[in-house]
Amino acid sequence: MRKGTIFIAIGTALLLFGSYQGLFVAPAERYMGDVQRIMYVHVPTAWNWMLSVLFALWCAVAFLFRNNMKWDSRLEAALEVSTLLAFLLCCQGSIWAKPTWGVWWDWDPRLTTTAVLLFATIGILALRSAVQEPVKRAIWSSVATIIAAVDLPIVYFSVKWWNSLHQQQSTPQTVSSAFHLPLRVNAFGVLFLMIGFIMLRTRIAAARLERELAGPPVRIGEEAGELA
Amino acid sequence: MTEGVVSGGWQFVWMAYGITATAFVVYGVSLFVRLRGATTHDPRNVH
Repeated sequence: MRKGTIFIAIGTALLLFGSYQGLFVAPAERYMGDVQRIMYVHVPTAWNWMLSVLFALWCAVAFLFRNNMKWDSRLEAALEVSTLLAFLLCCQGSIWAKPTWGVWWDWDPRLTTTAVLLFATIGILALRSAVQEPVKRAIWSSVATIIAAVDLPIVYFSVKWWNSLHQQQSTPQTVSSAFHLPLRVNAFGVLFLMIGFIMLRTRIAAARLERELAGPPVRIGEEAGELA
Repeated sequence: MTEGVVSGGWQFVWMAYGITATAFVVYGVSLFVRLRGATTHDPRNVH
């Protein structure tokens, strides 16, 4: 079994255990009731989404400095996985917002800046699929990723800088200890799953790159004919 | 909702967990399918 598959298996097991704890064992929150159980998937998704964007930024900078295409394959993988996590984050947030805020979506600073980064990563992936030349594609998407990542600290600090419907960051001191276990287990679950996804997606990108760099298709038989 | 307390809402909880699980499963399966295609199909060998 390959490493990526092992990470996915561990992540799935942790998520199943953490979600069971969050859904059936942890108590309901005093004011938000059972709806607060969404926290056990929403917050781990948010933390790991930020990590995936940071990893994409790292890959982009590493490619520009080292000029090694393996960083470009990793960048492609990190961008795709971060897009998945950002999409999930927005969906989970909307579902939590409806019963607590009364609306599915609000153009609140935290939500807006997150949506901006989601659309930025979708745009970079679209750019990558439109550019055929591997080196140009790598350079352009690295630069675009660095520009997009500027939004990440704005997302993080938006709840402190502006009046926001979204609550501020929680700490272990502000979250009841009864909620710690499912939150932490799911955080590691999503982390392992994300690492496994990035590893597998990197291999797909690397295989495509290898084919591109190998040149155009050669018909078997034509080659033999030329030799004869 | 009474006196600032949210009551009920399990349908929202299941929706959030359901979407999350579905997205992870679909994406994970798509990765294995794409990986199999990427590593077994070599377009340089066109018959």
